[in-house]
Amino acid sequence: MAAILWVILILIALIVIIIISYFNRFAILVNRIENSASQIDVQLKKRADLVPNLIETVKGYAKHEKGIMTSVTNARKALLGAKTLNDKVKAGNQLQAALKSIIAIGENYPQLRASDNFKQLQEELASIEDKVAYARQFYNDSILEYDNLRSTFPGVFFANMFGRKELPYLKITEGERKVVKVKF
Amino acid sequence: MEKGKHIDFRDQIARNKRNSVFLLILVFLVLIGIGWIIGKAINVDFFIFMTIFSLISIFYIWITYYFSSQIALASVGAVVADKTKYRQFYNIVEGLTIGSGLPMPKLYIMNQEAINAFATGRNPKNSVVCVTSGAIAKLNKDELEGVLAHELTHIRNYDIRFVTITAVVVGLIEIIAQMFLRSMFYSSGNRDDNKGSAIFFIIGLVLAIIAPIIVKLVQLAISRRREYMADAGSVEITRYPSGLVGALEKIKKDSKPLKVNSSVAPMFISDPAKSRIFAIFQTHPPIDSRIQILKAM
Repeated sequence: MAAILWVILILIALIVIIIISYFNRFAILVNRIENSASQIDVQLKKRADLVPNLIETVKGYAKHEKGIMTSVTNARKALLGAKTLNDKVKAGNQLQAALKSIIAIGENYPQLRASDNFKQLQEELASIEDKVAYARQFYNDSILEYDNLRSTFPGVFFANMFGRKELPYLKITEGERKVVKVKF
Repeated sequence: MEKGKHIDFRDQIARNKRNSVFLLILVFLVLIGIGWIIGKAINVDFFIFMTIFSLISIFYIWITYYFSSQIALASVGAVVADKTKYRQFYNIVEGLTIGSGLPMPKLYIMNQEAINAFATGRNPKNSVVCVTSGAIAKLNKDELEGVLAHELTHIRNYDIRFVTITAVVVGLIEIIAQMFLRSMFYSSGNRDDNKGSAIFFIIGLVLAIIAPIIVKLVQLAISRRREYMADAGSVEITRYPSGLVGALEKIKKDSKPLKVNSSVAPMFISDPAKSRIFAIFQTHPPIDSRIQILKAM
């Protein structure tokens, strides 16, 4: 009798351990997804913060390029006003495109092109573009891992048990990595 | 290359951690063994001597574990990379850490013309990535990115812990061998410790013979699989095999050898010595086969 009792006890302990480990794995993956989403946010914010500095730099050399300046300022406003992650990414892409045209215009002004500040901004802009792409990639990778755990056995069983719902992938609409580049 | 045998990086992490512990235990046993021989050879209280020697051994292992990366960095003459001068270096690694979810490593520069790079440290939180100034100058951004992603994969896989400890241990064996051999020449026969110095000489001789063999075994243990895995991991992060392919092709054409101690050679992305006489001494897989595999990705 005692032996059966032990077997039952060990089985229960095993089940408890498995439940806890799956609960934790789901929690860790969701945390990672949230963290990578905020990383995207951070990089987009950095891009927006670059705008005033860039406009200030370009203004000194290219006074009459008013049109592009306003479009950048508007794109920045749209980004800061965006609520959902998908909207933010979309606004971020528009801002990136606008910033690139400023850089392209800057290329026409030799003095501007030669200034350290401009070069630095160029490098910063290119690196933020990479970082946004990487942050999006990591976000989607994390979602994939979460989905795999959620849709395979026995994860699917625990996903239902803990009420872990499907989370959205980031749709990449434009500005795919390394398609367009700020020229050096 | 073991074809068709998929190795998950999580298995590799577990293996590296286990091997690191084995290696440190082995070092402890070897040190105790040496202490035992010395203790028998010289005329002191054996028990007290062994106690002190054991404490010193534990202290040495502690140092190895916590400071091996600093020792390795110092031995190759690496310095902290300047944040403004090497802005792009920092930007690329920051991007890669975002893409891989790893913490930001410390960045170092070796002032050498050869194109090479290595990573070191005991875990991802305490890790270092070091490149030569030649790599910064000669590689374009995509190529440098491929190389740095390769190094970050070594960090993620805990290759850095095992390889760095190995490098320090191999260095120690070389030093001990030298010490014993020299003790023979410097202790002249005017004292009556002939018995002791003879034993020292024999130990030195044995170490001098087995040291290269151990180095070879270690290099084989470090195995080419690590490099292939790091290449694959690099592509996993950058999603752009052409970057690393370009870098490897430039490394292949680059004739400048890298002057570093042989014990740290396995740490680098490509063998610092451009050619080795015996294939068995090769620490890295042939660059051509690495390029071929990357191109097929």
